[in-house]
Amino acid sequence: MLKGVLEGCVLEIISHEEIYGYEITRRLKALGFSDVVEGTVYTILVRLEKNELVNIEKKPSDAGPPRKCYTLNAAGREELRRFWEKWEFVSSKMNALKEKTK
Amino acid sequence: MGVRIIKNECAEGEDKMNFWEKITGSDMRKELKTFDSRVKKLPAAYQAAWENIIANLWPHADFTGRNLIPILDGVLGLLEESASDGQRVQEVLNDDIKGFCSALAGEEGAKSFRDKWREQLNNNISKILGKAGK
Repeated sequence: MLKGVLEGCVLEIISHEEIYGYEITRRLKALGFSDVVEGTVYTILVRLEKNELVNIEKKPSDAGPPRKCYTLNAAGREELRRFWEKWEFVSSKMNALKEKTK
Repeated sequence: MGVRIIKNECAEGEDKMNFWEKITGSDMRKELKTFDSRVKKLPAAYQAAWENIIANLWPHADFTGRNLIPILDGVLGLLEESASDGQRVQEVLNDDIKGFCSALAGEEGAKSFRDKWREQLNNNISKILGKAGK
């Protein structure tokens, strides 16, 4: 379950601005997903790339190799919309269940 | 973009690639050599992680291992970026290289030998069952 949620988080983060992998990981950690590592984010980014939901541009950096910068394309935005729809559904049902069993 | 670029190059290269290159895998050796020189520039802990990654991805290789080249290129890119950010490799891969590799192979649709055998076995069984059912 967390895998799907993380993918939604990554899509949401990319949707705001052009961003690279390490920065995405840092944002997730700041959100409280403290055990998320860059390797995890990388596997998600590979999946997004394979499903053609993101555009990637290689940008030179001050030090070290060029970085892959990610932006969301139209298909990615559609996927993000669907994610929030599913999330709404699941969270409303979970809350309803919690209320009932109280 | 790196992965996609490499894929395109492979596709173009395949047209030009002669039979000899294909059969000896000399085109792949070239790629692997480039990887080697990139790996040597990484910190020691990263180099060790790379060895570990290769060992864990190898079972997902196809007959020639050619399918792993774009995957390895992407991973090496990740290691290069992380190393230049000054991260420790343990922070990047959480000491779970096995999990990382199987997630990666899964995303890339690379099946392991075992998956292929399982598929074959399942096909055979369903064939036999199908015949028996008639």
